[in-house]
Amino acid sequence: MSRAPIEPIVGRYMRVPILGEACRVYFEEAGQGIPLVCLHTAGADARQFRHLLCDEGITDRFRVLAFDMPWHGKSYPPQGWEDREYRLTTERYVATILAFCEALDLDRPVVMGCSIGGRIVLQLAHAHGERFRALIGLEAADYQAPWYDTDWLHRADVHGGEVCAGLISGLIAPQSPAPHRHETLWQYMQGGPGVFKGDLHFYRADADLRGKLGGIDTRRCPLYLLTGEYDFSCSPEDTVRTAAGIPGAKVTIMREVGHFPMSENPAQFKRYLLPVLEEIAASTPAIAPDARGKDRT
Amino acid sequence: MTTITRETESLLCARFEAAIPSRVNDDAHLVWRGRHLATRCLIGIGETAFVLRIDAGRIAECRTPPPLMSSCTFAVHGTVDAWEQFWLSPPPPGWHDLFALSKRGEVRFEGDLHPFLSHLQYFKDVLALPRKGGTA
Repeated sequence: MSRAPIEPIVGRYMRVPILGEACRVYFEEAGQGIPLVCLHTAGADARQFRHLLCDEGITDRFRVLAFDMPWHGKSYPPQGWEDREYRLTTERYVATILAFCEALDLDRPVVMGCSIGGRIVLQLAHAHGERFRALIGLEAADYQAPWYDTDWLHRADVHGGEVCAGLISGLIAPQSPAPHRHETLWQYMQGGPGVFKGDLHFYRADADLRGKLGGIDTRRCPLYLLTGEYDFSCSPEDTVRTAAGIPGAKVTIMREVGHFPMSENPAQFKRYLLPVLEEIAASTPAIAPDARGKDRT
Repeated sequence: MTTITRETESLLCARFEAAIPSRVNDDAHLVWRGRHLATRCLIGIGETAFVLRIDAGRIAECRTPPPLMSSCTFAVHGTVDAWEQFWLSPPPPGWHDLFALSKRGEVRFEGDLHPFLSHLQYFKDVLALPRKGGTA
């Protein structure tokens, strides 16, 4: 037995084709029960969800899974990446999420995504709602106005990691604890060259969803939108405007939180997330203890 | 400009001068983070302009008004409201970051922004120093 505390998170790699390309995807998981798939922000990786993965108040009812998208974290880009510019598209993003869920044979998982993950959650609600038990968009909106030129993110005469972190540092609430703030920034300092910029291609150029979210049935697949009051990229007004066009969407504005609730201030985030998860769990038939692991690989 | 705004601007400028250059140059790690930086920039507080000459991360000079015919590589102009709110601790949402202020039209960036963006966190931290106990 180890003398040091060992966290309950288990990390594994899966080999899964995405848009016809072989990808090796790293994911972490903890807990048992309702599958809860977490999508990290642009230019970051699944470490953002480490606090959630270690929270027994959540993992006692939810099987929490978080994967690094190809190009991010411990998931390599597919072979041949060196010959093309990385640009995330709606098609690639949806294909990645569906491939991950299908590969693990997840039964109508809950998907919770932040920032670009929040944007794609809206697309999932629109086009694939029947596949999911519920959807949670953090810092999510159908569109938000740009606030800097993304060309600065990938150029030879500026350190990509430092400028990425420097830009997003202002999206963290001033009240967020310093260790969590700097851990969040460290993730951005570690991104591959051009990856944050490539993710923002999806955000800014490819996925303007204004006027394209018709037909979302929140009775069949509940949609929750939670946004931090200090997020000036996806502002509370952006989220409220988006929700106004989706009957039944539930909005929560989180105090003293910015654009990265799960990693910048996990304790504050939990106060807002837990009631949402409790509502989802309450609407899900109880899973018998001996069946809890049935979604496991 | 109203009398009240002019008084607020004077107080903000005094606060800026109380923090800069001393609180930069006394912070060895902040200076180290700017060790490759040499530039001249203009910081506008309302209608008041300060010219900073930065050499190897130290604020070598902070002058207002700028010398005649002085030139700067880039400028950060903020309204009186912008700096007043930005330097509150904690600053209110939407007023807490230079880019939040830029997005709402209270700050504008001008000139060659390469020194600024290649040392972005350095400049954010320097310009937040008048906010006692806060972080950028």
